[in-house]
Amino acid sequence: MADLRLNGVGKTFAGGVVAVEEVSLDFPAGKLTALLGPSGCGKTTLLRMIAGLEAPSRGRITLGAADITERPAHARGFGMVFQSFALFPHLSVAENIAYSLAIAGVGRPERRAKAEALLELVQLPSMGDRRIGALSGGQRQRVAIARALAQEPSVFLLDEPMSALDAKLREEMQVELRLLQQKLGITTIVVTHDQREAMTMADRIVVMSEGRVEQAGPPTEIYARPATEFVASFIGKANFLKGTVRDGMVDLGCAALAIEPPAPFVDGAEVTIACRPEATRLVAEAGANQIPGTVTFVRDVGPTREIFVDAAGTRLTCVMASTEESRITAGDAVRVAMPPDAIRAYPRIPRPLG
Amino acid sequence: MRDQAAPAIEAPAAPALPRVDAGRLWRGALWALIGLVGVVPFILVIAISFGEKIEGAAWVWGFDTANYSRFFVGIGWPDEISFLFSQKLFFSLYYAAIAAVLAVILAFPFTYLMTRQKRRTQAVWLVFLLASLSLSEVFVVMGWDVLLSNRSGLPMVFRETGITAWLKEAGYFDTLREWGLANPRDVKFKTSAFATILTLTYLVWPYAVILLYPALSRLDTAMLEAARTMGARPLVVVRTVVLPAMRIPLIGATLLLFVFLLGAYVTITVFAAPAQHTLTLSIYDAIRGQTLNAPFGAAQAVVLLGTAGLLLGASALLARWAERRA
Repeated sequence: MADLRLNGVGKTFAGGVVAVEEVSLDFPAGKLTALLGPSGCGKTTLLRMIAGLEAPSRGRITLGAADITERPAHARGFGMVFQSFALFPHLSVAENIAYSLAIAGVGRPERRAKAEALLELVQLPSMGDRRIGALSGGQRQRVAIARALAQEPSVFLLDEPMSALDAKLREEMQVELRLLQQKLGITTIVVTHDQREAMTMADRIVVMSEGRVEQAGPPTEIYARPATEFVASFIGKANFLKGTVRDGMVDLGCAALAIEPPAPFVDGAEVTIACRPEATRLVAEAGANQIPGTVTFVRDVGPTREIFVDAAGTRLTCVMASTEESRITAGDAVRVAMPPDAIRAYPRIPRPLG
Repeated sequence: MRDQAAPAIEAPAAPALPRVDAGRLWRGALWALIGLVGVVPFILVIAISFGEKIEGAAWVWGFDTANYSRFFVGIGWPDEISFLFSQKLFFSLYYAAIAAVLAVILAFPFTYLMTRQKRRTQAVWLVFLLASLSLSEVFVVMGWDVLLSNRSGLPMVFRETGITAWLKEAGYFDTLREWGLANPRDVKFKTSAFATILTLTYLVWPYAVILLYPALSRLDTAMLEAARTMGARPLVVVRTVVLPAMRIPLIGATLLLFVFLLGAYVTITVFAAPAQHTLTLSIYDAIRGQTLNAPFGAAQAVVLLGTAGLLLGASALLARWAERRA
């Protein structure tokens, strides 16, 4: 199995609309990578270019040593699951699954055996003769997965595969898909806008925004060390504060916060800092890296408790375990502590429009 | 003081009128209209088909099956047998079936490619096609009549450009003569089955596009892309995904055009050889034209209608059977 590599791949549609800027990425063999981002960020266009359904306007796509940029979709041997599943209503479940084999000229008994084996794999045994219209949403998704796997693809592509499922089924299928991918050890790329889905399934997450890759890395790294303000806001929740760098610290006006490692900014640079709510603590005694504030709202959300504090001209959130003892109520004056190693600083440079 | 009011003297009640439900009234009127416009003419035609023609006069009501016997075995039965009208029925079905199938075959790739274009391009084509529907059969036939006429149309172009001479030298001219597309001197398209089918196909081609457009534009493009990612080349995608997914609209469009073409009159009059004239012309001749035999015309119309109905029923059964087998 070979690594899939994108080198400066981009797409500009007619009319000059740039869907994907120059993206360079490696998709390690046997790993599951999630392309994560909001609607319109270019993740599906990128996936379609990998599948051969969209021609890149620039850049090269290679699979191992082979340059597959110009190779048509039917010659790539990549399996793909579509958002709508795109099952063929005129064929039975088994015929859908064995479609790629029929195209390749594989004999009927062999096709049937392969379809049955794949139905077993996706936990739909003895459903080969069913019509597509007689299947539930979850069953259709499994059939779509089995169909894409039938040609034993070198790369498995999934475009928002869970979006048509209800919340409960989606959670189950995320785990099942991950188990299946691990079992087969197939290079897999999943497009999703659901950060929880990406965190659940992926070995590696590529966060995209406005046609660019904001950050690529393992889920824990993306969460703990978001590279940009966008990633910090898109992956999980964060408390954002605006400040100015002075002597290696961030001056918020009402307090100065140290950052570890120190922020690489010149004095006077305008920055935005971010700190995850669960790293943000409320303390009674004065100390370093604290911001004075007033509690506005306290709520218990199952296993956690969320405390909202007005501080430094904005609303901060602190999350603690429900089991922790707390007598904090709305209106209390508190100090919000942000550990230096939990703070990330980003330059405040407005992005050009368009 | 009286604490109990005297019972009021009630006025004698007016006789109750039956309540009229306006909704039912409208529904009844609608059904009556449908019956009057849609059913009564059919019943009349069927009834007239059993009437009797009085030589030198009109016809009288009756219950005579002679018109049907004349249609199927000829007027001289049982002394002699003639299949003249069965032959006319055959040509009706032949021209309608071939032209309907050809129109759908030609319209399908065009419509498919049209639905892959931008919305704006599609809208322009649709407007153009809808505008072309306003052309009557007479207008279309007139155009093709000029195009195919021996003196000023394609035969003249063939002659003047030397194509006719080349065809003669290459030995293809004799083949054209065998097909009825040439006389001893020139190629000719009038009268020929070729010109008839060409014009009928041209006549209904825009209808075929309009009929196929909704289904093809609704076709899920993800299905086509899915087939491509599974190794299917573009033509294989059309054969294995598009055509099977479109078979009901394709069959429906063909049947609709077939029924429509059964009634073609002007095209047949101008382009078909007299020996290949259809039942439509014969019906007109019997009712309004030369032969003036309304009961026999009605009998021919009933047979044409019955045959079309049988064929449509058989097609529906065949489609259902194919659906179950698929």
